Amino acid sequence: MHLAHLSLTNVRTFRKLELDLRPGAHVIAGDNAQGKTNLLESIALLATTRSSRPGPDADLISWDASAEELTPVARLAAEVEARAGEVTLEIAVIGGERPRMDAPLATSRRFRVNGIARRASDLIGQLRVVMFSADDLRIIDGPPANRRRYLDITNAQLDPAYVRASQRYARVLQQRNSLLRRLQERRAKPDELDFWDEELSVAGAVLLAGRARSLQQLGAHAAERYIELTSPEEPLEVCYRPAVPDDVAEAFREHDLAGRFRAALEDGRRDDILRGLTRIGPHRDDVGFLIDGREAAASASRGQQRTAGLALRLAEVALSTERTGEAPVLLLDDILSELDPQRRERVMQAAYGVDQVIITSPDEAHPSQVELPGARRYHLRSGALTLLS
Amino acid sequence: MNSYSDPPSGTASPITRLVEAFHRLPGIGPKSAQRLAYHVLRAPETEAKDLAEALMEVKRSIVLCERCQDLTSESPCRICLDLSRDRTSICVVEEPLDVRAIERTRGHHGLYHVLHGVISPTDGIGPEDLKIQELLARLRDIDTEVSEVIVATNPNLEGEATSMYLGRLLRPLGIRVTRLARGLPAGADLEYADDVTLGRALEFRQEVQ
Repeated sequence: MHLAHLSLTNVRTFRKLELDLRPGAHVIAGDNAQGKTNLLESIALLATTRSSRPGPDADLISWDASAEELTPVARLAAEVEARAGEVTLEIAVIGGERPRMDAPLATSRRFRVNGIARRASDLIGQLRVVMFSADDLRIIDGPPANRRRYLDITNAQLDPAYVRASQRYARVLQQRNSLLRRLQERRAKPDELDFWDEELSVAGAVLLAGRARSLQQLGAHAAERYIELTSPEEPLEVCYRPAVPDDVAEAFREHDLAGRFRAALEDGRRDDILRGLTRIGPHRDDVGFLIDGREAAASASRGQQRTAGLALRLAEVALSTERTGEAPVLLLDDILSELDPQRRERVMQAAYGVDQVIITSPDEAHPSQVELPGARRYHLRSGALTLLS
Repeated sequence: MNSYSDPPSGTASPITRLVEAFHRLPGIGPKSAQRLAYHVLRAPETEAKDLAEALMEVKRSIVLCERCQDLTSESPCRICLDLSRDRTSICVVEEPLDVRAIERTRGHHGLYHVLHGVISPTDGIGPEDLKIQELLARLRDIDTEVSEVIVATNPNLEGEATSMYLGRLLRPLGIRVTRLARGLPAGADLEYADDVTLGRALEFRQEVQ
């Protein structure tokens, strides 16, 4: 699949951008703070509805629009050509009032697919991307929440049922935890938990099974890629650490996964009430990365962690292609300059295996014509793009 | 930028008070509150008087119906007193506005019961905060003829939690508990329906008559 057109209006540094894109490689060069990352972030947002950087949605709306307009709107739109046909995607982030003068604008989002108002879950996965960035090592060395976020974004692009389950899970979990605190204060009866336990286990089972399945594939690919990227060769092992009792984890491939998860929730009610929170479930999952049998987060070097992050992204390209039969769009956010020739070569190989790759670089001469023949090259300055070749 | 908490010189405090009163209303932000307040200020005195009286009137004269808990100016309300209505079925809704919505369908000839909310632990609302005891009292009444309770809560998480709670509570009383079907909106195109709705319509499909 590839992006045929990208349109940004009032998105961060972009007042107005209309960009026609073709299959093949695109290099977007420019100094720092000209909007290179914002451009790739916008594409990733259209694919996943998740922003790759933290902060409120109000930050997506360009500063000019926020200052000048009563109802500022950031509009992102893409035309995607996939094997299944053409599809247009649109996300509008609409600014409202400030709840307080020092608070960010209240915002709401509107989604459209082929011009028709849809939910976020209908948009996710229509465009699939894998974005490589220098922050990828945070998946390896950061807190578990980073790894769960990675798993959610990756799975969401592959399975619409996963998206719906994770939205539902989050809401049910919040309700269940509130009820646990009410129970702690003896302001509710334990049987009020029944509904929330049932809902949590049904949605949670979809998350657990989806994560187990994709991590098995990701782990196998990441191990292969990691070996190719290192010399002397070291083994990388990716292991899922689900936050459920063993008897639930053993049922990952079986139909009664939800039933076992539900039974485990019931068994743990008394302790959950004491703590006022749900102690088991996918919201506490983690993923272990072992290099040479040792925990990468604790004992690997910066270089090894970076390489593991890179291997994971390359594995994600393979997973996405394998699962859907169609390669995702690759977004490389200024990662090539910091790689040595061997690793660059591997990333370039992955880039040749997909229909479209969009690369940002601080330097117009890199990647070079030799490395990337036939690439369309642009220069980006203050949110405006100029075609160079 | 002007802020009502930092009034320009010459603005006295009564207007600040009015702006803040508007701001407390649901869906009104600080800018809208300012606009409303200055509108009232510029409008003829009769308009302000009408508004004030309407506000007081509604608080003075509207009460909850002792039976169905709907808003009414006289208790019991007209629907509860209407002898032509079917006394064997009660439709349970979240809010008074939902009674109006169901009445417009002319599809329900029975009585109503308004819960005034749904179960939502995050908002601190449990079953005891809803008008559920009042519903139980009606069903346990020696003279009751009710054989069916139709739960018409919204088809979202909290509505479903409430409907399941009511089902469990009421079934032991030997009462049939049903809930509204979920599916495609009338006059809709299949291709425009979202996956969840279409999936549910499939799940709850019916025999062609």
